[in-house]
Amino acid sequence: MRKTSVFNQIVVHTILLISSACMIVPFVWMVSTSLKYPDEIFVFPPRWIPRNPTLENYTELFKSMNFGRPFLNTIIVAGCITFFSILISSMAGYAFAKFRFKGRNRLFFMVLATLMVPGQMTLIPVFLLMRYLGLLNTYTGLIAPGIASSFNIFFMRQFIYTIPNDLIEAARIDGAKEGYIFFKIILPLSKPAITTIAIFTFTGSWNSFLWPLIIAQDERMYTLPVAVSVLAGQYVENIAIQMAGSCVVITPILVFFLFAQRHFIKGISLTGLKG
Amino acid sequence: MKTNWFWILVFIGPALALLLIFLIIPIFASLFLCLTDFNVRAMVNWSNAKFVGFRNFIELFQDELFWKAVLNTFYCLAVAMPVTVCLALMNSVLLNREQTKLKTFFKTAFFLPFITNTVAIAVVWAWILNPHYGVLNWLLGIFGIEGPNWLGDPKWAMPSIIMLVVWKAVGYNTILFLAGLQNIPDFLYEAAELDGASSWQKFWYITLPLLKPTTVFVTTMMIIGYLQLFEEPYMLTQGGPLNATLSIVLYLYRQGFKFFNLGYASSIAVVLFLMIASLTILRLKLGGQD
Amino acid sequence: MRRISIVITLILMIATLSLSVKTLRIWAMGEEAKNLHIMAEKFMKENPDVEVKIQAIPWSAAYDKILTGIAGMQLPDLIQMGTTWMAPFGAMGVFEELTPYIKKSFINKDMFFEGSWQTVTMDGGIYGIPWYVDVRVMYYRKDILESIGYDHAPQTWNELYEVAKKLAKRGEKMYALSLLYTGVFGNEFMPFAWQAGGRIFDENGNIRVTDPEFVEAIRYYARFFWEKLAPVGGANVLQDFAAGVVPIFFSGPWMVSLIEKQTPQIAGKWSVALMPKNKKRTSFVGGCNWVIFNTSKHKELAWKFIEFMTKPENQLEWYKIVAALPAVKKAWEYPELANNPIIKVFGEQLKDAKSPPNIPAWEEIANAISRRVEEAIYRKRTPEKAAEMLKKDIEKIMR
Repeated sequence: MRKTSVFNQIVVHTILLISSACMIVPFVWMVSTSLKYPDEIFVFPPRWIPRNPTLENYTELFKSMNFGRPFLNTIIVAGCITFFSILISSMAGYAFAKFRFKGRNRLFFMVLATLMVPGQMTLIPVFLLMRYLGLLNTYTGLIAPGIASSFNIFFMRQFIYTIPNDLIEAARIDGAKEGYIFFKIILPLSKPAITTIAIFTFTGSWNSFLWPLIIAQDERMYTLPVAVSVLAGQYVENIAIQMAGSCVVITPILVFFLFAQRHFIKGISLTGLKG
Repeated sequence: MKTNWFWILVFIGPALALLLIFLIIPIFASLFLCLTDFNVRAMVNWSNAKFVGFRNFIELFQDELFWKAVLNTFYCLAVAMPVTVCLALMNSVLLNREQTKLKTFFKTAFFLPFITNTVAIAVVWAWILNPHYGVLNWLLGIFGIEGPNWLGDPKWAMPSIIMLVVWKAVGYNTILFLAGLQNIPDFLYEAAELDGASSWQKFWYITLPLLKPTTVFVTTMMIIGYLQLFEEPYMLTQGGPLNATLSIVLYLYRQGFKFFNLGYASSIAVVLFLMIASLTILRLKLGGQD
Repeated sequence: MRRISIVITLILMIATLSLSVKTLRIWAMGEEAKNLHIMAEKFMKENPDVEVKIQAIPWSAAYDKILTGIAGMQLPDLIQMGTTWMAPFGAMGVFEELTPYIKKSFINKDMFFEGSWQTVTMDGGIYGIPWYVDVRVMYYRKDILESIGYDHAPQTWNELYEVAKKLAKRGEKMYALSLLYTGVFGNEFMPFAWQAGGRIFDENGNIRVTDPEFVEAIRYYARFFWEKLAPVGGANVLQDFAAGVVPIFFSGPWMVSLIEKQTPQIAGKWSVALMPKNKKRTSFVGGCNWVIFNTSKHKELAWKFIEFMTKPENQLEWYKIVAALPAVKKAWEYPELANNPIIKVFGEQLKDAKSPPNIPAWEEIANAISRRVEEAIYRKRTPEKAAEMLKKDIEKIMR
């Protein structure tokens, strides 16, 4: 344990406290509003803790629909997307970072270029394609487009780029195949990156709203955000229910994140490098 | 040494195939529209669209609103990017210190903006920015500052949007930087300490250079992401007041999905693409990434 | 348990097939989607060979869902269509023309309010049947108006302006009325233009926004901002209304239940009134229509459902469920509506209410109107100059 002055500790923690407070305030307000009766919503100065908290907004949401099916759909979709996306992106990231071949950079830039066209532009063509493939209203249709992520490929490439070449060359000289190197050296060393990507991908596909709605041709294929926004009501003015709806969508993610936290803190064991 | 084509295919093939099907082909399909007058009447019957050459582009370059949108978007990028990078880098370095306490709490806090539903959070922000009862102006009032009419004043509307953008991005980029930091081997710092390096020197000569791939990634993604600014003005201001927060993608969305001028909208997409691509290439060249 | 349910499902499916039950697919949004099943069950009781399947679409993405549905021809038989969406989606050529159905039905034009019927008429054809209507009226705080010496709502433009002046004098950060000033507020502005006798197009299709009547409306609207009678920036209408900061606003019937539910503290202290009069008291009429897609395989059935929903007794029942105002005039004679003092005002206002021109370019024109009126509000241009620019915008759009 390295030494650090008390003064340093205080400065560091003050900065972190202030910036995390900025992050939390809107969120806390959201939770607190979701627990309020209508007459307490528009009170000034703001009341952070509701005077008489209620779960009415939540029961209002839950009574009209069974959330089991959408919840299950969301887990299946977000889980599959995360798993396949990580596998495929880290493979491609490894190849772009460490393989040498003609046209590599041009190919890589093409991957990047797909991020530069706003998503709205591809909505209709992808929908038409899905109809042509007969994938409307299916899990495949919900999952497949989410797996292809240029962001993940780019991030994995940048991360794997920092893994020393010597390590890979040594394995190659020992006669290891690329598959072995990838699974036994690259993947274990990329754990921080993979955890990060896993969390982002899972969260992103969990919250994804427009695509699941468009591809679902009946309500049994709805995901949680779609189902909640159906119930959150017609008008944005119904603030408390809006907030309750968001809390319902967010809570599972938060639990998932706290669970995944452990992997963050440990960081990476560098035995492979040191030894 | 060149890699065997078999392995290249195995490793890149699946990703490329998926990208081709779900992104590249649809992108080409929709970008093709920029040379047509595809509009509401062509939506069902495609033969109603005519080939018009570069007419969309000629009109676009004379479109005063489009240039306004370009200016606004670059304003957002120019302010939001440095601010986000500095804050995220600072947070991640502080979080990565061994001696820092309450790490889980801080990380969870930084993670919150990212998972919170944009629609709900926009309502919260509108309330925070309310000139009369907003928390922000109430806070400024404590320090004797009379806060501006954030979303109602054309001068302050864009800074308000930038505030929300940065708020959403800082936590997210902090986590990305953190992943990069965790990849820097401890022994480098230990060696530097033995040589008597100060914390600042360690940051400057070890952390920053070794973090470069992450910095390149983060800034590149910011160029790509911020130039596609859409959700925040869409939710908070719809581009107003006086089009002070009209962004390129918001204008594209309006033209394509509200007015159904899909031909015109896709010409906006092409111009936006060219702007992002050239800035990205510039960034990658500066970053020394071949 | 699971196996049993599978078996039951299979048996049901076979039974379904053997009875040749026809399925009617409906897309609905918001509160309507939540509650439409009540009406659907009643309909199925009357028509045992029909199964109604309702898919709920969230309002926030309904536009994109319909658009992709049309582009990919994946559409239900019947849909609830907002009146301002009729023209843009209708122009895509996917709505069934309903004249032949109307000819052999009890449904006819005269059953509905004139402004509402306007919204289903396009290029001389009938493309929908009104379901329920929204009309904007003036909401005001009785107690606050009394405190400045008015025992009634402002009746005319002049009176509204006088009242506003007095209300704003109540103190610092006190305003009179809430008006939209940013985003797309063509639908909020147009009633003022109509009240002044202005219009966008005349009978021959000429653009008339530079007429003195239209310019007068821009000036009247913008003046509330110039003189700080209307607030600018991030305000929440309900919050301001309840706090008394902004005691007047214009909105549709959905606000009634919102005020009752969300701000019970002002119960009995507020009321609604007709729009203020200049030459007229015209308001904006919106709401939703039923539309049959021409891709449907069950058009007759869909029409049957529309007929069912149009019957006055069912219109009344629907009013009781979600408090949506009936589009059928006859339904307004029921005591539930006729004896409700607040609802009566809406009924009165519906007799003088219009909808904007039913053309696909309306959304674009509404954007242009908002942009130019906004410039007048922020004093970037005089109302005259703003109207001139607006004329040029519309010329470009209509080209």
